[in-house]
Amino acid sequence: MNNVNLNEDQQDCLQEIINVAMGQASDQLARYLDTFVYLKVPSIEQVSAQHLSDTLKYEAQSVAVVSQGFFGYEGIRGEALLMYQPKDSDRLADLLGYEPDELSVEEQIIDLSSILTTTFLNVFASQIDNQMSYSAPRLLFSSNADNNTSSQSSISEHIQHNSFNWDTALKVKISYQVTDYSFNCDMILLIPESAIINITSVIDRILEEY
Amino acid sequence: MSANPFCTTIAEQLNTGILILDLDYNIVEWNRFFAIHAHKDAKEVIGKNVFTAFPELPQKWFERKLSSVIQLNTQSFCSWEQRHHLFELSHTRPITTDSHFMAQNCTFLPIETDKVISHICILIEDVTDVCHYQTKLNKVLDELAKANRIDGLTQVFNRKHWEECLDKEFSRARRYDHGLALIMFDLDHFKLLNDTYGHQCGDTVLIETAQKISSLLRLCDQFGRYGGEEFAAILPETDLIGAVDVAERICKEIEKLVIKFQDKDIRISTSVGVATINPNDKRYEDLISNADLALYEAKATGRNKVCSAKEIEYILEE
Repeated sequence: MNNVNLNEDQQDCLQEIINVAMGQASDQLARYLDTFVYLKVPSIEQVSAQHLSDTLKYEAQSVAVVSQGFFGYEGIRGEALLMYQPKDSDRLADLLGYEPDELSVEEQIIDLSSILTTTFLNVFASQIDNQMSYSAPRLLFSSNADNNTSSQSSISEHIQHNSFNWDTALKVKISYQVTDYSFNCDMILLIPESAIINITSVIDRILEEY
Repeated sequence: MSANPFCTTIAEQLNTGILILDLDYNIVEWNRFFAIHAHKDAKEVIGKNVFTAFPELPQKWFERKLSSVIQLNTQSFCSWEQRHHLFELSHTRPITTDSHFMAQNCTFLPIETDKVISHICILIEDVTDVCHYQTKLNKVLDELAKANRIDGLTQVFNRKHWEECLDKEFSRARRYDHGLALIMFDLDHFKLLNDTYGHQCGDTVLIETAQKISSLLRLCDQFGRYGGEEFAAILPETDLIGAVDVAERICKEIEKLVIKFQDKDIRISTSVGVATINPNDKRYEDLISNADLALYEAKATGRNKVCSAKEIEYILEE
């Protein structure tokens, strides 16, 4: 596990790239959503599979979670999880500029997740001269889903009981706040063990250039 | 489409629909897959506005969706799980599925010319197959979940699910300081009935009794089979007077019930115990114990009657 740990310089550099990306993403989002979007200082840490599994179990009590895979050049890839508290979704349609009856709450959550994830990661990628592609976002589980409650919850239980086939991952957590709509959500980027090495070599190259 | 000859060939052979729009939503290009499944002539489509060529599109939604692609210069998606289809296209399983139009996963891609967005590419995947099997799977999961909650014989809640309900109702009543009542039923001389008329008769009695009691409860009450010939009902927001009233009514109705088995008329009765949540109850099991004690009291003092936990307390205190 030691060889995948970021040293202090690497950690600072990653933090700096993320900060810049957050600034630009927040600017783009504000223009698109026509309201201020605050991104809180990110936390970067290595997490174990057990730790993440526990976090998901805990959070799954009350939230909707959307997953979206991302992949770029030089072996940079991972999964973005967007986590919502149920009360967050009240005014989503309004925020997104849709009529409330035009789309279901699930679709609103998925749509917003995709916008937040891809906007941030596109800017992040351009910071490191990369380009991202994405899988379609998927709702992993939602406690809002009032249809098929039974099967939905059993599926979510199933997901929670999955054991992951990795030991450690790099976790970047960014909190979004849209105060005008009293809306919050968390974006958690998870970069699997095998891709951490790839990202550190990109960071090393950037550090050398300075 | 491109200078690379492979690209054109592959785009035409691909089992994915491709539609390219300019920023005014005019259709610039489509591939063979799209043309075949849309059943339209190129001249009705190419150069035309996308909403004219495909009037089935939800225009406002579609425009907002594309505006995110253009403004944020990013991909956007639309899954069959949220919208079954965008375009009314035919699909490849018209015989073996009941889907009228192709279920679609759509991807919207920004296309840049000289670093400025000039077009939007819409990719359409046929997921009719996935949709068909996922719908079937969801149905089976629902049935399984239901089977997991229901007692096979009487079709009321089984013991496990009923206890889970009680657990929830108990915590809720505790938290908000609401009333909660529990009624437990035990059919009188059930063993004798089984021994005299056989188990099939016993089963019929259980089914009809369960049905009768269910019909006399409110929609919000939760009724289940607790054990062999024991049933139990959870009555949220109900005090002792209300619960005893319900219990008395059910007891009388069961006494009047005539169950036909083969050509015999079977008559039964039930003993009933009632308890309500009290401040000493720490766990939902305490509530069951109290109702059980009341039920025992009803059995011991002559059967075919209702006893409540309060009366027992009174007797014990004396």
